[in-house]
Amino acid sequence: MMGDLEDLLEKAESDLRASQTQDDILAVRTKYMGRKGLLTALLRNITAVPQDERAQFGKRGNEIKETLSGWIEAALTEAGARRKDDVLLKQKLDATLPGRRTRYGRIHPVTQVRKEICDIFSGLGFTIVDGPEVELEYYNFEALNIPADHPARDMQATFYIDDGIVLRTHTSPVQVRRMEQMRPPVRIICPGRVYRHDSDVSHTPMFHQVEGLLVDRGITFGDLKGILTYFLKEVFGPDTALRFRPSFFPFTEPSAEVDIQCMLCRGKGCRVCGQSGWIEILGSGMVDPAVFKYVDYDPEEVSGFAFGLGIDRIALLKYGISDLRLLFENDWRFLAQF
Amino acid sequence: MLVSLRWLKDFVEIEITAAELAERLTMAGLEVDAVEEKKPAFSGVVVARILSIKAHPDADKLVLCDVSTGDRVFPVVCGAKNIKEGDVVPLATVGAQIPGGYTIKLSKIRGVVSEGMLCSEAELSIGEDAAGIMILPGNLTLGVDLAEALELHDTVLDVGVTPNRPDCLSMIGIAREVAAITGKTLRYPEIRLSENDEDIQNLTFVEILDPDLCPRYTARIIKNATIKPSPLWMRLRLEAVGLRAINNIVDVTNFVMMEMGQPLHAFDFRFLEEGRIVVRRSKPGEPFISLDGKERVLRNDTLMICDGRKPVAIGGIMGGLNSEVKDDTETILIESAYFNPVSIRRSSKWLQMSTDAAFRFERGIDPQGQLMALDRAARLMADLSGGTICKNAINCCPKPIEAIRDIPLRVKKVRDTLGAPVSADDIVKTLESIEIDVRKDSHAQEETFLVTPPAFRVDLTREIDLIEEVARLYGYDRIPVTMPAVTAASITQNSRERLSERIKNILNGCGYSEVINYSFVTFRACDLLRLDADDERRNVVRIRNPLTEDQSVMRTTIVYSLLETMRKNSHAGTFDLKIFEMGRTYIQKQSGKLPEENNKLGLLLTGARYEDLWHFKDLQGDFYDLKGTLENIFDNLNIGSVKFVSGANEPFLHPGRSCSLMINDRCFGYMGEVHPDLLDGLDLRNPAQISEIDIDVLMACYTDVLMFKELSRFPSSTRDVAFLVREEMEGDAVISAAMADPEELLEKVSIFDVYDGKGISPGKKSVGLRFCYRAPDRTLTDEEVNKVHSRMVKSVIAHTGAVIRGDDR
Ligand SMILES: [Zn+2]
Repeated sequence: MMGDLEDLLEKAESDLRASQTQDDILAVRTKYMGRKGLLTALLRNITAVPQDERAQFGKRGNEIKETLSGWIEAALTEAGARRKDDVLLKQKLDATLPGRRTRYGRIHPVTQVRKEICDIFSGLGFTIVDGPEVELEYYNFEALNIPADHPARDMQATFYIDDGIVLRTHTSPVQVRRMEQMRPPVRIICPGRVYRHDSDVSHTPMFHQVEGLLVDRGITFGDLKGILTYFLKEVFGPDTALRFRPSFFPFTEPSAEVDIQCMLCRGKGCRVCGQSGWIEILGSGMVDPAVFKYVDYDPEEVSGFAFGLGIDRIALLKYGISDLRLLFENDWRFLAQF
Repeated sequence: MLVSLRWLKDFVEIEITAAELAERLTMAGLEVDAVEEKKPAFSGVVVARILSIKAHPDADKLVLCDVSTGDRVFPVVCGAKNIKEGDVVPLATVGAQIPGGYTIKLSKIRGVVSEGMLCSEAELSIGEDAAGIMILPGNLTLGVDLAEALELHDTVLDVGVTPNRPDCLSMIGIAREVAAITGKTLRYPEIRLSENDEDIQNLTFVEILDPDLCPRYTARIIKNATIKPSPLWMRLRLEAVGLRAINNIVDVTNFVMMEMGQPLHAFDFRFLEEGRIVVRRSKPGEPFISLDGKERVLRNDTLMICDGRKPVAIGGIMGGLNSEVKDDTETILIESAYFNPVSIRRSSKWLQMSTDAAFRFERGIDPQGQLMALDRAARLMADLSGGTICKNAINCCPKPIEAIRDIPLRVKKVRDTLGAPVSADDIVKTLESIEIDVRKDSHAQEETFLVTPPAFRVDLTREIDLIEEVARLYGYDRIPVTMPAVTAASITQNSRERLSERIKNILNGCGYSEVINYSFVTFRACDLLRLDADDERRNVVRIRNPLTEDQSVMRTTIVYSLLETMRKNSHAGTFDLKIFEMGRTYIQKQSGKLPEENNKLGLLLTGARYEDLWHFKDLQGDFYDLKGTLENIFDNLNIGSVKFVSGANEPFLHPGRSCSLMINDRCFGYMGEVHPDLLDGLDLRNPAQISEIDIDVLMACYTDVLMFKELSRFPSSTRDVAFLVREEMEGDAVISAAMADPEELLEKVSIFDVYDGKGISPGKKSVGLRFCYRAPDRTLTDEEVNKVHSRMVKSVIAHTGAVIRGDDR
């Protein structure tokens, strides 16, 4: 008789395992534990058990009853949950379809680079200042030691507006205006639009410059190298090789052009760097004493340096843009990439 | 400027490679943009001598030559007439490549074997002479490669000479720099003249009427010259530096200019009337035909070289057609002068003649270099033309240029400027390496040198100029990198920058992307926008020398630029755009003065409201989309007082779908749908919404001071009411009616519905208002709310004449 009990449990277990739905499980319960169930019947038939085995039979019978009802409960819960999932699964959506959104807008690459540059110099204590784009020839040229009829004017092809009025060819006039207004120390950068009478793959009649000026006591050419080295390594990475080479700007002396090693060929020479391995990135120099004279600073008391760079050119290098003119055509397919 | 390495080597020993030289020059301030190898256009051509010439057995026009290369004799068939036995000629041997892609093969010409070909100049692309075989100098070694023998290989550097270094606009000038940076010695050309007995003083005479423009004029005369093409070596040199050979006389003037930097001019003496030279300013209206054949009418300030009666050259710029050297010229007057740089620059700008000579004069040539260049040219002309040099030179120098002497150079100033431990010895050595005279100033208190630059260094006049010379030759790379003390900068000074950035961020969030347009637009922009005749925005800043008419005036509104962007994009197939631009507009308030520049923000929306059509089938962005974006800006910046007032009165906006933006009763912008007629004019098909606002005004109203308001912990009660108002009454009016008698408990009132469809009588519309009531300190009872609410409703009715919807029946 004890053997029958154990057989029953085994059978019930396999029946339960075969049950899928809650109804199946309930059927199993009825089959074994219902009023006419197999287990119920077996336990009711205790009289058929020999006297000395009855106590043990009863005990084991109750254990099995409990076990079985435990199993059934668990199976019912599980099946219930499964049933809910089935319902939810029927509500399946296509997660691969695009999300619903207002697409985030893009910032023009020139503005992105401009901000990066301004942030670096702000961190070095430079203040951002601005001035007119339609500018007096005096501020654009004379006060920067570029007299009329000087060949240095050829370096900057100019748009003329009126007698004595031009579109600024660089943002340097802002420096002069600023120096007129304040005494040293001066630490400023002037970002903005500038204009040159020029148009081809690498020149647009309008482009963007950032120029900087630092005037204080005891500023040296070594300081110029220090600030600009720091800046260029921030923009192009700490391993960027650079070189300072002598050049000429009427408003600085000594003047230096700064090249970075071509990132495409690593200095071996390629199309982008014109086989030289170097890319010209900014112009700089110690402020010429003649400029200080114009703003009434004493070159024996203070010294300083100025620098200027084309934002657009850096954007070109940074993003590998092939043609400068693309920057101002504002083709959506271009803008959407930044 | 192009620099021939072969030419340079006449003056300085060069032991480093061309690439290395380019690098060293660049690092000394003479940027080398390119290094080009000059190679002959042929290979396998050698020097050979014609041993014998026999008639061809089967052809009258051909001859059979035996040609020796020293170790071998080649039979060659040739058709040229100019050869004779003993001539040294170029022989293209079998396998040689000649220009035009030909390879010389062993051939049989009418039954006779020919092992090669004798070549003309033209066949080898050495010269233009195609008439006969090129006859080589007799002293060339036989069998030697022709390119070697004629020195056809060269390396040419393209050097970018900065405007302050006119002394480097010549081979000797560059050679001087090369000598300094490589530690070699510069060799000047040796000039020995043999003169004939005829004194120039008896032949001609020079008078300078305007010595301020021409401080020095020197001249020599060559007699009995024969005009012919220059020898090959001369032609090769000129060609290497980018000049075209013309004839032996003109070539010498160019050659000496390239060699020494002194522009020269050669006159045919027989065309100089009265046989003399007068240097004077032009007379207004004076006509003159220059060498290029163009007639020019002069102003009153151009320096002219004249003979006894008429101008014969524009001084320092270009000679005249009336006195140019011709094939039959025999007597030549060579001019070597110093002209005032500013005068030359003005004239060449005004005449739009930028010649090699003017380029050098306007930068400043060596004020002492005239006689040396004159003698060099005279010697070369005599040699190349078979002429003789008349005795003496004319040296007319009414206004000698004062040389600058003894510029004080303080050692400490050098160190302080550079931040480098440059020694006194370094300074002396560096300066002396470029022919600068340095001596110690024994009277000065601090260590000082008195420095006298050579006359050709017109750029060195001040202490700082000398410091730069020291720095560049000392080496910028040797100057230690230091960091000045960094002081903190106040960010409040950058407030506009920060406001712009915030606005851009908000716009990005609203889906708008930034564009950057040129600040100049077509002069037709105002017409295309249909601006009124008296519209201020018609006062454009005009560019005198625009690149194109499409970029000829500065914009007075950003809107035109944005519409252009839309047009270009629609041509490229993009019809959905949400874009903005931040930039300036320029309005000419007073002529001759700087214009007013305003910082503006422009926005444009066209096409789909959302990009993902999967969700939003073809929902077109409209007026309220753009308005929502503007509201986002003002909300985010906490500028609460902006009013959108219907009807912007802008000729380019839809009159019924536009509004002005007001802040404190000041109009600072507008927005609306682009006028349909305007779209047609611009070739645009889709409707677009545009707006332009003045950032400077916004800036003035903007504050980043913000105060927190306590939150009420008690619930609010809302009441919705639909009012029937006249159709033309605007939402804003209904809201302000509600706000006219403010109730303390009213937290907010908003429009939740506008309806004028079925069930609403004509001429009316229903505006649903939601009133929200709350007290900071308690939960409001229904009774309290009802009391306040009924006052609110009465107030709205009183101010608008509305009836409550439902009460109208
Ligand atoms: Zn490269």
